[in-house]
Amino acid sequence: MTPSHIVLHGLAIKKHAGPADIAGLIGLDETTTATLLAKAATGGRAVEVSGKYMLSGLGRIALDADYSRHYDEVRENAAFMSAYEAFEVINVTLKGLITDWQTMEVGGQRVTNDHANKSYDDGIIDRLGKLHERAEGILAKLSSVIPRMAYYSKGLLEALEKAEDGDIAWVSDAKIESYHTLWFELHEDLLRIVGRIRSE
Amino acid sequence: MATAAPWILRLDGSSLPEKALIGGKAWSVAHMRSLGLSVPAAFVITTEACRYYLEKGTLPPELDAELEANIAWLEAQSGRSFGAGPSPLLVSVRSGAPISMPGMMDTVLNLGINDETQVLLGAECGDPGFAADTRRRFRELYASIVLKTEDHHTAVIPENVRDQLNGAINAVFDSWNSRRARRYRDHHDIPHTLGTAVTVQAMVFGNMDGNSGTGVLFSRNPITGEPVPYGEFLNRAQGEDVVSGKHTPKPLEAMRESLGDAMDELLKSSSLLEQTSGDMQDIEFTVERGKLYFLQSRVAKRAPRAALRSAVDMVNEGWVDRETALQRISSEQIRLLLSPRLVEGAAGKATVLAKGEATSPGVGVGLVVADADETETRAAKGDAVVLARPTTSPNDLHGMIAAKAILTEQGGSTSHAAVVGRALGRPCVVGCGAGSLEALAGQVVTVDGSTGIVYQGALEVFTPREEDDPALHLVAQWAAVVAKVPVLAAAPAGVMPVDFDENLEQSAALFASLQPGAVVSGALFANDEKAVHSAIAAGAATIITQPVLPALLAAAHAALANRG
Repeated sequence: MTPSHIVLHGLAIKKHAGPADIAGLIGLDETTTATLLAKAATGGRAVEVSGKYMLSGLGRIALDADYSRHYDEVRENAAFMSAYEAFEVINVTLKGLITDWQTMEVGGQRVTNDHANKSYDDGIIDRLGKLHERAEGILAKLSSVIPRMAYYSKGLLEALEKAEDGDIAWVSDAKIESYHTLWFELHEDLLRIVGRIRSE
Repeated sequence: MATAAPWILRLDGSSLPEKALIGGKAWSVAHMRSLGLSVPAAFVITTEACRYYLEKGTLPPELDAELEANIAWLEAQSGRSFGAGPSPLLVSVRSGAPISMPGMMDTVLNLGINDETQVLLGAECGDPGFAADTRRRFRELYASIVLKTEDHHTAVIPENVRDQLNGAINAVFDSWNSRRARRYRDHHDIPHTLGTAVTVQAMVFGNMDGNSGTGVLFSRNPITGEPVPYGEFLNRAQGEDVVSGKHTPKPLEAMRESLGDAMDELLKSSSLLEQTSGDMQDIEFTVERGKLYFLQSRVAKRAPRAALRSAVDMVNEGWVDRETALQRISSEQIRLLLSPRLVEGAAGKATVLAKGEATSPGVGVGLVVADADETETRAAKGDAVVLARPTTSPNDLHGMIAAKAILTEQGGSTSHAAVVGRALGRPCVVGCGAGSLEALAGQVVTVDGSTGIVYQGALEVFTPREEDDPALHLVAQWAAVVAKVPVLAAAPAGVMPVDFDENLEQSAALFASLQPGAVVSGALFANDEKAVHSAIAAGAATIITQPVLPALLAAAHAALANRG
């Protein structure tokens, strides 16, 4: 993976991002990331608006065209691919869990979870913790092939622990790097690496 | 160690030991027994035994003999035999700390099933398929929870039922020191020496015959709050059948015909449980050969309308005081009750343009736009926009935030659009069908996120007002008495409030620089309970926002919390 490609990859995962937003994800320091982003903007592959960058149409084409070249080996790596398949399996569990977090079954109806029942919420956060332990095993395998994947391990754990400590926005709030936000980004990242398309 | 106190206590209702000794789950069983309710026989290995195990790394030497004696007691109570026939005894094993925390062991059900007892159970209930299914579920649970392996096909599950039990007990005690549990205790200053208890309880079977079944009863209607018990029952079934959604339960009335006595007992106990706990209860029960057993009773989860009505009713009925009632209603529940909806009858005449799965409630009206960037641009100009996409991804987030409603062609209730739509509080309809939304671009539509229907044109929408709803009005009066800071819909004449709406990004700095006695205003206070708390903590004297009640309730909650 070349630096000029990975920085575009970072922008594909996190749109409207500055150096600090994607440096961790792409496994580079902030200064290097800032330089690469500026270079991508100069080369017409990214557009800068007040310190935040997004992919240009050209950048998107350049990025998508190069995945197979950069990740050929990874896609042939049996250990990585089996970890990826394992991720797809628990991804289904995670999605169901988030639905149970946002809605609850009451008297035969699905209603919005207003988070007034703490023991219901605690039960789901406990399930999330147990799922996370399975995810950690998978992420360890992914990181042994692509070290920057450790970024997700760390971020997911941080979000989980904030939720466990009572700041429940960290489960699925879309505006912060909540557990679900980061999980979704991880999924997007993996889909790009292995060259597949999301199936909803 | 010559300790007089036993390591195991029987939960026979003769006493109610402290939660610190037996944990929350066992306490709840003992509590129900002490009320005279019929609960499947159970005993608890105390937190003392856990502390011994944690200190010495081994179970207390006396525990084995105590387990023998107490299993014999369970057998006598249930008329069944552990690991033998004619009627095999199966048990559940659950951890129960005095304080609930993450990382503790999940419940193992159906422990005691093996080659021999599977056959016996199948013969007893006349359903070998059920026995095989019970065995499979046990294997899966035991493998993942006790043996901690994902692969339950190759996991070696003990055939000897006492070995099964010992394995589960050790796993409960070990889970006390799981990484998640330790970290949680560190963060919350909970002593690591507290320990967890192990509750071992006889399983009962709702699928034994036609006079058996399982169900759940709410002491009041959990949707409307109407003070009438509301329940569901499934004849000849186990709890898992209800949870798995394999069978659809029937209304509680289904019990009347063949199980009238059990139903009467259930309804009588429902109000007893509610009165002793002082809050609406959610009760799980099973009937085995005509005999009613209570499995669990806990504070019921409820829809916002039920939270409001039950809290107000219970004050009127004299069960709780006004302060308690206020604490049972959240600002979020009030916001949901005050959220916009379609005017009654408006939908009847309207043309339906698309239908999908309703995944996030509310009504959104706007011009359909197929692109997230354009949604953001148009919304910034003040247009009401509905974002319609084949599917959504994080690349669309800015558009989803800017949109009044979100539509997708593909995906279900767990799709990105559904999850994010709910997280943002945007009405959302997903899975409208491939190609179904393209033609809508450029049209004005009304999206009903509660029914999953997209209507042509802008239908009439109304926003409920708290003053039109007697229960909301009452709660507002109670909250105004308790709150230390008044919340008003508009600033009094001549007062210039510190406005947060135009300075949302700097709200932290604004709170920090707030003068004591300041008047603050902004939608922020209606939408965010924490902002109300911050304003009060910073010395604000008056809060101006609309609607008033969510913020007023938050102010009342703050005052009650300060009273400690």
